[in-house]
Amino acid sequence: MNLNLNGKEEVTYDAIVVGTGISGGWSAKELSEKGLKTLVLERGRDVKHVIDYPTAMDEPWELPFNDRIPEAELEKFYPVQKRTGYTIRQSVKHWWVNDQDHPYTEEKRFDWIRGYHVGGRSLLWGRQSYRLSPMDFEANAKDGIAVDWPIRYEDLVPWYDYVETFAGISGKAEGLEQLPDSKFLPAMELNCVEEHLQGQIKKHFNDRILTIGRVAHLTEPKGARGQCMHRNLCMRGCPYGAYFSSNASTLPAAEKSGNMSLRPNSIVYEVIYDDVTKRAKGVRVKDAVDGTFHEYFAKIIFLNASALNTAYIMLNSKSDRFPNGLGNDSGELGHNLMDHHFRVGASGAYDGFQDRYYSGRRPNGIYIPRYRNIQKNDRDYIRGFGYQGSASRESWTRGVRELSIGKPLKDELMNPGEWRMGMTGFGECLPYHENRIWINEDKRDVHGMPTLSIDCEFKENEMKMRPDMANDAAEMMEAAGFKNIRTYDDIGGPGLGIHEMGTARMGRDSKTSVLNKWNQVHSVPNVFVTDGACMTSAGCQNPSLTYMALSARAANFAVDQLKKRNL
Amino acid sequence: MERREAIRKSALALGGILAAPTILGILNGCQADPELTFDPKFFSEEEAWLIADLAEVILPQTDTPGAKAVGVPGYIDNMLAGYYSEKDQARFREGMEGFKNAVAETYDKPFYRLEPEAQLEITEKFHNEAVNAIREPGEGTPFILMMKELTITGFYTSEIGATEVLTYVTVPGAYLGCIPYDEVGKAWAF
Repeated sequence: MNLNLNGKEEVTYDAIVVGTGISGGWSAKELSEKGLKTLVLERGRDVKHVIDYPTAMDEPWELPFNDRIPEAELEKFYPVQKRTGYTIRQSVKHWWVNDQDHPYTEEKRFDWIRGYHVGGRSLLWGRQSYRLSPMDFEANAKDGIAVDWPIRYEDLVPWYDYVETFAGISGKAEGLEQLPDSKFLPAMELNCVEEHLQGQIKKHFNDRILTIGRVAHLTEPKGARGQCMHRNLCMRGCPYGAYFSSNASTLPAAEKSGNMSLRPNSIVYEVIYDDVTKRAKGVRVKDAVDGTFHEYFAKIIFLNASALNTAYIMLNSKSDRFPNGLGNDSGELGHNLMDHHFRVGASGAYDGFQDRYYSGRRPNGIYIPRYRNIQKNDRDYIRGFGYQGSASRESWTRGVRELSIGKPLKDELMNPGEWRMGMTGFGECLPYHENRIWINEDKRDVHGMPTLSIDCEFKENEMKMRPDMANDAAEMMEAAGFKNIRTYDDIGGPGLGIHEMGTARMGRDSKTSVLNKWNQVHSVPNVFVTDGACMTSAGCQNPSLTYMALSARAANFAVDQLKKRNL
Repeated sequence: MERREAIRKSALALGGILAAPTILGILNGCQADPELTFDPKFFSEEEAWLIADLAEVILPQTDTPGAKAVGVPGYIDNMLAGYYSEKDQARFREGMEGFKNAVAETYDKPFYRLEPEAQLEITEKFHNEAVNAIREPGEGTPFILMMKELTITGFYTSEIGATEVLTYVTVPGAYLGCIPYDEVGKAWAF
């Protein structure tokens, strides 16, 4: 019951969700569908599905400068965001933050790649969707690393099932213990060379398989969402709604419930803690457009602002009870930052299949699930890695290094070139207490807000894994008869994987972790964190699917607890 | 009297009122200026004639359209004007001057006045030298290879280059992973 005092009712809701990316969208959907009046706050601008995808239908020749951005513009506005090499293009640059407006401090190189708008990185993600496995949830306990996950794979199974059924995950069941199958839509096809490699890996390596990437794309229509048209222009926003994004999937569902109020341009910078009730009672917001300040109140609060920004909000929420940040009794808030380490693997050419080709642009590739350190730990590192990659025939872009010009060059480029295969390992990063973020009051962003300092590095275990990640890829291609095989290793900065995790980890003990097994802040049980911040360990799988499952699980728990008047 | 000398004298007689391009026109036997299908932003008109012809030599009209017909010269001018850094612009211009001078030394004519065979001959000479050169690390791409890359990229990302010379489907609908090449028949542009 809300009392209508001082107009408080209009700013009081049952639930507040901070952030509209992969996890925020799920929190918003679940809470509002379960009947909670839910305020969803997004720091960036509104993005309406389809309507606000300005480049979605642009043809290649319609993009200025062949889709490239002049160096001066890159240097001035996107010195960090450009580091991926694929994020700052004419066709997608409007999605990424302007680094001038949103600075942070790199104690060591850390590539913080992000977009502030409704939908967040759910519009921009790679869409690769893999379950964590029983092995992943047990790993910390087994290895004596950091803290144990307070949940096990079985706790998440019904929630993986649930979110996969709604989101739509295409893939092939393989029955692997270390990479459990999802509820799959029909798989996309491998091409000839990928299929060849698959067969050869099966023949030569009894511990390894190659499967088609598991990807959050509809391969058959689902409600208002159409199936994938294989244009492979996903990052521009999908006009068919064929891949999972908050904008195409969860936010429309939340909207349909009639219980969601979405407020874009709302920068949440603090959670308000009530010393009397020992609960959070609301959030403080700065309006990104007019600079005004607002307070909103609710019974429960879901923080889904991304691993770094959720930790920022909590660190910035200081009270007598929590002088070091909301729920930070353990001192672990802002620590244990993880990403996946990658950009290591091999490539090669394949001589056969000269009379074979493919049709369509598949927004997906191959996946080789983890096989290292599974039965026994026999490497000089712990944990492991998986591979992503693809094969294709060379296009006209090979023309510059062709030895001809004139008619012979043109004739040569009429046909596709040789088949080439590339494989990139994605390795697990351990949680290290000293990999951390903190608030820097001295450097302010465009809104006058304090910014983050980030001190994070990959360490010995990650580095020891990388030679295997390069050599194993080459070994598999060699066994499959590829030629001109080259390995590469170009680690870049942590952050490049765009899988930031761990800054408010789950755990069994409030002395060593921030969140409990329901993603509740141990000491402030009406605050939930279900984005990457909650991750206790990283696995080597792309993590978004797990955020979806954890968000749905926590939201349903929260509603249940509210009904039981436990919150 | 040599033709050149005669013109110089008549120009003097006319009080030097013949503008330089006119003199050039007379020198070249009153040939009409080449046509440009775009308004150069980076290049002078004369440079644009050179660039257009050079692009056409790299990817000529065959039984399919060539560089000029798909708008490559305008693409290159636009890239130089808007995309290239000042440093790269200067490097390109310097290379272009070198090419121009080499042509003038060899043929005593600008590139765009050469017969197609001569254009191909000197372009191939430059191209093969650049391809075979062992470049020092840090040394920039030679002009002719910058031109080659611009021409190829402009050509195959153009609407005609992608859809008529090669093949391209805006909305493929499906992905078929392993089909006979004959069913496609040409390389996908994208």
